[in-house]
Amino acid sequence: MIQFFKSIPFHMRSAVKSLVRHLVMTLSAASAVMVTLVLLAAFLMIAGNVSGFTNHIEDDIRIHAVLGEDIVSEEQLQTAKAEIEAIEGVKEAELSSKENELKLWIAEKGEIFSIYEGENNPLHNAFFVSVNDPDNIAAISEDIISLDIVDDAMYGGNSISQLISMLNTVRSGIIIFVGLLGFLAIFLISNTIKMGIYARTNEISIMRNVGATNSFIKTPFMIEGMIIGLLGSVLPCIGAYFGYSYLYKAMGGQLFSNVFAFQPINPFVFEIIGILVITGMLVGILGSFLSTTKYLHWKR
Amino acid sequence: MILLENVSKSFKNGVHALRDVNLYIEEGEFVYIIGPTGSGKSTLIKLLDGELIPSSGRVVVAGTDVGKLRHSKVPLYRRNIGVVFQDFRLLPELTVFENIAFALQVIGLDKVTIRRRVREILELVSLEDKAKSFPRELSGGQQQRATIGRAIANSPRVLIADEPTGNLDPEKSQEIMELLEKINQEENTTILMVTHDSNLVDMNKKRTIALEEGYIVADIQKGGYIHHD
Repeated sequence: MIQFFKSIPFHMRSAVKSLVRHLVMTLSAASAVMVTLVLLAAFLMIAGNVSGFTNHIEDDIRIHAVLGEDIVSEEQLQTAKAEIEAIEGVKEAELSSKENELKLWIAEKGEIFSIYEGENNPLHNAFFVSVNDPDNIAAISEDIISLDIVDDAMYGGNSISQLISMLNTVRSGIIIFVGLLGFLAIFLISNTIKMGIYARTNEISIMRNVGATNSFIKTPFMIEGMIIGLLGSVLPCIGAYFGYSYLYKAMGGQLFSNVFAFQPINPFVFEIIGILVITGMLVGILGSFLSTTKYLHWKR
Repeated sequence: MILLENVSKSFKNGVHALRDVNLYIEEGEFVYIIGPTGSGKSTLIKLLDGELIPSSGRVVVAGTDVGKLRHSKVPLYRRNIGVVFQDFRLLPELTVFENIAFALQVIGLDKVTIRRRVREILELVSLEDKAKSFPRELSGGQQQRATIGRAIANSPRVLIADEPTGNLDPEKSQEIMELLEKINQEENTTILMVTHDSNLVDMNKKRTIALEEGYIVADIQKGGYIHHD
């Protein structure tokens, strides 16, 4: 281990020398990393915010189950709650009394309805039913309607659940795309490193001859790959920082309404930058690891 | 020091490079290996330094069964063996000093030890005044001395010289011979020298092993080149 740290200057020198010597290849590999990371950054921003949105929206997806007129006693309400909660996929049923229903009604439709307060309240008791998986909301709603005690059941509409599944599709699409680009970047890096290896076959064969270990021979190439990865991550990081800050400020921190509130700049962008730098380095190390290992194991 | 037991090596293309070779070389011996092109000399060297694995039989050097080494252990084993090539293989952008130091750097020695050992080596191979020269500024004989210096820098127990005088004129060849003998005596290094040079073998008589078509056809203790009709 001590030996390893002592030889770091040696490795750094040969890595930098080789990078400069193959400047064009270095730049092309670094730009492949860059493109990958730009997309990764976009993906992370979308994914991070989408999961924020979905959490907000999922809270709002509840079935409003209005009970029959005759369900009024405490005991009946308890039974109704139990019956609804027994349906598969139901997370919780929360009572909303007649009075509460009217309040919501007034809040939504206007003060004029306040004349129904008290004895004249025409509304029924109801439950707000939350579900485990928003995808099943339609089926659960049917089940609730089919109960005798329930008059009617409504939920926030198809549009929201469609939005969620659309966002999920976008998310997995980007994952696949980023994965493919990652492969491309690894391939380009390993090619760049291969050039470096061929330029130094002589040196490597001497190293092998005098008994340099495989890891010693590999280290400068791994450093080289790492530097390529780092070079490739510089612009995406800067872009991510300014791009997200700009968007955040331009849109006022939210999309359309505060249901779609953006993740705050401070931890979010820096987390993304951290991920980008680490990914860039790992991609670089992996690429050079693949080509050096292949080269070294070709011979004894 | 070196033991070959019933060693055969054949390649995928059907060439039998070595056939049932038995050989024992003592520690501190100086041995010539002679034979025409294609007689199996290079294969023998590659078996000894771990680059090839025998098809059958055992190759044991300094107590290590070379054919059974794992890939990752080969480099450590190789520190016991110095190899000198006909074409020198010095790194052109490094000075003589740096070339020799390189062999010690890559096995992870510290700077002070490296500097001390390189000075010793330069003295041994009589290149003290050329320490700062680049390989292209040296004559063939000087380059070969630098290569030998690099090969023995980490004090290997065995030195294999693959036609070290192949590119040199007779006078320079004799100089290299004397250097190898000096290393043989001063560092007690076992030396295997592969050569084509019949004059050299006749002039400096030592144990001579002759290979032909993969067989050992002669193993003469008193030495001398075997001439064919």
